Amino acid sequence: MTVIETVPADSEDTRGSSLPRYLALKAGGALISLALVVVLGFFMFRIIPGDPAINMTRGRQVSPGEVERLRQEMGLDQPLLVQFWRFVRDLFTGDLGTSYVYRRPVTDLIGDYIGPTLLLTGTAAIISVALGLWLGQKAAWRRGSWFDKIHTGVALVFWSVPTFWLGLLLLLVFGGGLGWFPTGGMSTAASTDTGMAHVLDVAHHLVLPVVTMVAVIYAQYLMVMRASVLEEMSADYLTTARAKGLREDLVRTRHAVPNALLPTVTLIFLTLGLLIAGTVTVETVFSWPGLGYLMYKGLSAPDFPLVQGCFVVFSAAVIVMNFIADLLYRVLDPRLKSS
Amino acid sequence: MITTSRPRLLRTLTGVAVAALLTLAGLAVTTPAHAADDSKPIKVAMFNDIDTFNPFTAVLLQSTGINRYQYEALVGYGRNSEPDAGVADKWETSEDGITWTFHIPKDRKWSDGKAITADDVVYTYTSIMKTSALQAANGGLVTNIADVKATDPQTVVMTLKSAQAPNPGQEIPIVPKHVWERQDAAKFAADKDVVGSGPFTITSYKTGQSVQLKANPNFWRGEPKVSGVTYVAYKNSDAAVQGLKSGEVDIADGLTPAQYDSLKGAKNIARHAGIGRRYQALAINPGAIDIDGKPMGDGNPALKDPKLRKAIFMAVDKKTLLDRVLQGLGDLGQTEVPKSYENFFGFADGYQEVPFDLDGANKLLDEAGYKKGSNGIREDKDGKPLKFRLMGRNTEPAHAQMADFLTSWFKEIGIGLDVSMVTPDKVNEDSTLGKYDLYFTGWSLGPDPDNQLAMNTCASRPNADGSGNTSENNWCSPEFDAAFKAQHAELDEGKRQELVKKAFSILYDAYVSDPIWYIKPLEAYRSDHFTGFGLQPEKGGVILNQNGYWGLYGAKPAGSDSASDDDGGLPGWVIPVGAIVVIAAAGGAIVASRRRSTAQDRE
Repeated sequence: MTVIETVPADSEDTRGSSLPRYLALKAGGALISLALVVVLGFFMFRIIPGDPAINMTRGRQVSPGEVERLRQEMGLDQPLLVQFWRFVRDLFTGDLGTSYVYRRPVTDLIGDYIGPTLLLTGTAAIISVALGLWLGQKAAWRRGSWFDKIHTGVALVFWSVPTFWLGLLLLLVFGGGLGWFPTGGMSTAASTDTGMAHVLDVAHHLVLPVVTMVAVIYAQYLMVMRASVLEEMSADYLTTARAKGLREDLVRTRHAVPNALLPTVTLIFLTLGLLIAGTVTVETVFSWPGLGYLMYKGLSAPDFPLVQGCFVVFSAAVIVMNFIADLLYRVLDPRLKSS
Repeated sequence: MITTSRPRLLRTLTGVAVAALLTLAGLAVTTPAHAADDSKPIKVAMFNDIDTFNPFTAVLLQSTGINRYQYEALVGYGRNSEPDAGVADKWETSEDGITWTFHIPKDRKWSDGKAITADDVVYTYTSIMKTSALQAANGGLVTNIADVKATDPQTVVMTLKSAQAPNPGQEIPIVPKHVWERQDAAKFAADKDVVGSGPFTITSYKTGQSVQLKANPNFWRGEPKVSGVTYVAYKNSDAAVQGLKSGEVDIADGLTPAQYDSLKGAKNIARHAGIGRRYQALAINPGAIDIDGKPMGDGNPALKDPKLRKAIFMAVDKKTLLDRVLQGLGDLGQTEVPKSYENFFGFADGYQEVPFDLDGANKLLDEAGYKKGSNGIREDKDGKPLKFRLMGRNTEPAHAQMADFLTSWFKEIGIGLDVSMVTPDKVNEDSTLGKYDLYFTGWSLGPDPDNQLAMNTCASRPNADGSGNTSENNWCSPEFDAAFKAQHAELDEGKRQELVKKAFSILYDAYVSDPIWYIKPLEAYRSDHFTGFGLQPEKGGVILNQNGYWGLYGAKPAGSDSASDDDGGLPGWVIPVGAIVVIAAAGGAIVASRRRSTAQDRE
């Protein structure tokens, strides 16, 4: 009752006028973050040891001046600020530069590799969120039971296991050992499959990397959801629901869980962005042709345009997801709308 | 009533799902790896990156390796890395070594059936010579060429600026003029439906995933016995070993000794440790100097003393390192020429290897005036303790292991070591700038040692900021330079071999770089799928990563007997798809049951 009294009579109008302001505020914050990322990304990678021109020509018989010519071609002979200005200028036209190693536009390379990364992280995220939330609310509802102990225990064990180790173990057992799943790649090399057969082939290749990612990340959703539901469990409205004669699982799924989801939403979207940036290990273990591995290769060159491009994409993913989380939270929680 | 029946329903559904999964799993387990037949390409595990397949600009090992299968040079490499027929089958040199004439037989054809002529050769060479954008891969090989012309469709005449022993017809892939002149040669990807002259040509390339090549029916040595080659991208060799076991790939190289050991006795897998063409050495900073003769870097000045460097050589027990670190999978190092190049291998007359001798090293250091302090560490001429930095690559487990042994041996001769394992780029940069005392180095050599020798000449020293040329140790010796020049211009093969050995012996005798071993590349392949790989060198050489195309060109299907292994079991994707179907069915049933229950319990 108290809550209703504090909401102004013209609350609808207030929400209407504050939404664009809220949006502008959040979008502005996201844009500033992105600008900082661009600056940081450029200068941060310049401290990587190694001269790209020297590294690229090392071990080969190069004609006199070849290294210098390469440095000129790459723009490395220019002062750092000039290089930065060119980078920012090109960025506005969607040009992330040309990779030193692959000698292709970075946007093309990212275009080639981003699809597999999105497929892998998207699948893993959906399964992790579903599994984590479902187990989390169940565990909270049965707090202290064997179900609770086993599932939180297992999730925490997986959470603390090194991803590389877990991936290799799965690969060893279900790849080379039992031969149930492919040991690498996104599809069977030289396969002529098309249509549904190709989809199934990709799905087959997706299983082990997704299982690895899910095993490592679902724990955080489980724990947050569990904590959130536990908090709700002491709320008065649940007693009211029970007093109405509702079955226990309906009290949980219809009343406790929707409210407990609120704090979890932000976490889900925040971690989605981080997931994309954190695929290096899984992509390396399972030879998945994704962005994480591309960035790793860029770092070892060092291929500045490539690492900068990947860094901008990864950071943008985090920022965008953060932005969506802010918006969704506002949509889902009426208290935020009216405040 | 329904609420009490739901657990039972769930249990039933779960049981059905598990049973179905186990059945599918059982069926799939019986699915054997497909045996090879004439229609199947040989699948090769590929670990390294591909920059481009454009032979003018491709520099990465994997790209140039695949290009070897696609494009012949004028002169190729035979089974023992000797000059052998390529696009040309004969060649001769004028007495002064300036004019080289190459003869192209009339049976040479491109994979599209068109004749290979002298025009193709002239187009390739002049493109590199005249266009800087096309010099990325082989620009250094044409600097001594003054002119290339076709005197008739079957004859190419090359005029050099000065005499040189390395054959100018080698290493440069010849491209078909009729295809390339219609392209922007610097930007042409050349990764689809390639027209080439080698045993295989690329049909398609999936970035970061696979490369497919098909057999060239017009290859002048005869069409390969396998239909093609598929390179399968792996990002780590552990996964490739598993792929080999499951039959997803037919051959993998670059295995670690541990992986190689793990395949011992594995069913249908043959292991192969060939003679390598890479040396591993301990480099000592003798006082790095730039191209202008000025000191560069921060090497310990005490190491300018050759006696101290010799004592360090004496404290390295190569045999123990080879046995303990490499499990014996290599050959003991001598000069920088690996054992695979027998003609240039070993010391010249009058030179010999420094033996492992800790007592001898201590005696030498005592005589040279390096006295031991109270802590057992010797002091240099200025009274500073002899403690050196040792740098290795953190990507090479062997470097850290070797460092442990060296620390122990060096301690016994009163020298301290400060070991750091860093990224390969850091090693490259610091060694180029002379910022080291000791570091682990190593290079792979081509069949002609000229390039490796050139890297150690005075002219190869870099500029003060590390730009310019690449030197191995930023070292300069007029005696070495004289030996280099002599071998470079010597056209008599026998005399040149001796001069090359002498040059490498001079380098060794300066105690700047101590070759420890020549690692054996470790390979494994499915013996039930393919056989007949052509080794290079012919006796005990390697299958992949050759100077030629013999490895896969010689491959043939292992035989029809293994084909019976294929019993038509379920394809691998059946398990996940089956699981999805079963889970979806179970989920649907649960949802349906919940709908029924909630309808009765509505608020």
